Amino acid sequence: MQYPEPVAKLIDSYMHLPGIGEKTATRLAFFTVDMDADVVKNFSQALLDTKDKLTFCSICGNLTEHDPCAICSDPTRDQSQVVVVEQAKDVMTMEKMKDYHGLYHVLHGVMSPIEGRGPEELNISSLIQRLQKNEAIKEVIIATNATPEGDATAMYLARLLKPAGLRVTRLARGLSVGSDIEYADEMTLYKAVEGRTEM
Amino acid sequence: MQVTDLKLQNFRNYQKLQAHFSSGINVLIGANAQGKTNLLEALYVLALTRSHRTNNNRELISWEAATADLCGVVQRNAGTIQLELSLRPKNKRAKLNHIEQAKLSSYIGALNVILFAPEDLKLVKGAPQQRRRFMDIEFGQMSNRYLYNVTQYRHILKQRNNYLRQLHFHQAHDLVYLAVLSDQLAAYAAEVIYQRVQLLQKLQHWSQSIHQEISHQKEILKFSYVTALPKDKLTSVESIYQGLRAQFEANRDKEIRQGATLFGPHRDDLRFLVNGKDVAVYGSQGQQRTAALATKLAEIDLMKEETGEYPVLLLDDVLSELDCERQTHLLTAIQDKVQTFLTTTSMSDITMKLIHSPAVFRIQAGKILE
Ligand SMILES: Nc1ncnc2c1ncn2[C@@H]1O[C@H](COP(=O)(O)OP(=O)(O)OP(=O)(O)O)[C@@H](O)[C@H]1O
Ligand SMILES: [Mg+2]
Ligand SMILES: [Zn+2]
Repeated sequence: MQYPEPVAKLIDSYMHLPGIGEKTATRLAFFTVDMDADVVKNFSQALLDTKDKLTFCSICGNLTEHDPCAICSDPTRDQSQVVVVEQAKDVMTMEKMKDYHGLYHVLHGVMSPIEGRGPEELNISSLIQRLQKNEAIKEVIIATNATPEGDATAMYLARLLKPAGLRVTRLARGLSVGSDIEYADEMTLYKAVEGRTEM
Repeated sequence: MQVTDLKLQNFRNYQKLQAHFSSGINVLIGANAQGKTNLLEALYVLALTRSHRTNNNRELISWEAATADLCGVVQRNAGTIQLELSLRPKNKRAKLNHIEQAKLSSYIGALNVILFAPEDLKLVKGAPQQRRRFMDIEFGQMSNRYLYNVTQYRHILKQRNNYLRQLHFHQAHDLVYLAVLSDQLAAYAAEVIYQRVQLLQKLQHWSQSIHQEISHQKEILKFSYVTALPKDKLTSVESIYQGLRAQFEANRDKEIRQGATLFGPHRDDLRFLVNGKDVAVYGSQGQQRTAALATKLAEIDLMKEETGEYPVLLLDDVLSELDCERQTHLLTAIQDKVQTFLTTTSMSDITMKLIHSPAVFRIQAGKILE
């Protein structure tokens, strides 16, 4: 027997989400069938809003309802520093820290030829233009993840930006705060020693 | 170290197995196709999370099952560790003392094994991949750092080869990015090459005395690491790194034309010299076997030197491949020292008489007969 078409379509839709296979998608679809109509309506509206009400900031690439985004249009922020991150969600993470008051630039990924992403596929050319136009920016802080692709992307940006006389730095990596050396895995320690800083 | 207990569920032809092993020599005896090699393979997979015979988990899982579960208790100097490995067709989960290990590199090394199968006697004469694989598997078990570097290396190599192909087909054009990938690859390559050279030197030290004994003091065995870099560049990670960078730079167009990385650990090789002559080229079959045997046996001692404990030895059908004298050498090297699992089809083998108090397990159709 086949599922009624609406159910089949919903299963198929859920399967587009990461980490969800057919089994889980089927469970979620039947759960949705049992949900209150109001809740489902809000749910579907929330889904649509991500497309209708959100755009990418034309300056930094961050997700926003209004272009330019709140950070880019805030004159009280430190205009001399830009933190470069992989994803829009990384901006939220940095902001939660409440200790950084500069600007951002979102790359929308890292370079990975295997996945068909080279320098052209990332939000890099707009970063270059931004730096050329905006004399106030003195330092670019690269905050890509500590993966091979994050490393390569950081190295690439450093090569492009350093000749322009900008200060280019990378977030320190290594032991997380409050973590005990005893419990750190060997490779984290090895990397932490490699990236040790002068005191 | 020793494996005291093993539990298998739906691994190959073992639906359910529970076994307790001796710390000495465990003999697995049985007719063909009963599951002797499968049992050795189970110990190998438990240690390394992958098989020596296949890269496809599906083959390791019993035909009618969806998951294979392996569980072993390992006795080490520092205490007892329980290893658990769960294999599904597309993924695996590993636990140490009930705690799941997110990184396989933190799991590998808890149990060290050395497998010796008839193919290994072709180590000297066989294809270069076999010798590279030999270095990667054995050195990766001894050194977490080696395992990390070689894993990163392989990953970045894939990215770089892919980008070279894109450049070749004019789908990509950014030579700055290629230079970044070259530097990144060279950094990990330098670590891998440096560690290979260092560990080979130590391995050579151990294999020389074993080799001299087998060859009655007549011959001296030496290893030579074959790489495109000149020998004097191999003295530090930094100079290997600089050497490789220069090679990538000088051969950029050639690499783009071929769409592949032409230098690095994945192209290197290992040569065996006996009295200064390459055994693969000039040696007799007997000399090639002796060199391979001495090298495999030396691994046992090197592993002890590097990790502080002897590994567990898995011998699959090798005894029948060796003449009486070499069998005796092998057994004297391991007896009363290394926990060993060996397979055989018959107890009448000459060697069986040389083993003191073996623990014998009769294997039939995926079961150990009591
Ligand atoms: N995934 C699997 N599920 C069930 N049975 C399997 C699976 N893979 C292999 N087998 C069975 O395991 C048997 C082979 O076992 P194994 O290779 O251990 O033999 P062996 O005892 O070492 O024999 P030989 O003396 O010939 O080397 C074959 O009969 C094969 O059908
Ligand atoms: Mg067999
Ligand atoms: Zn913005």
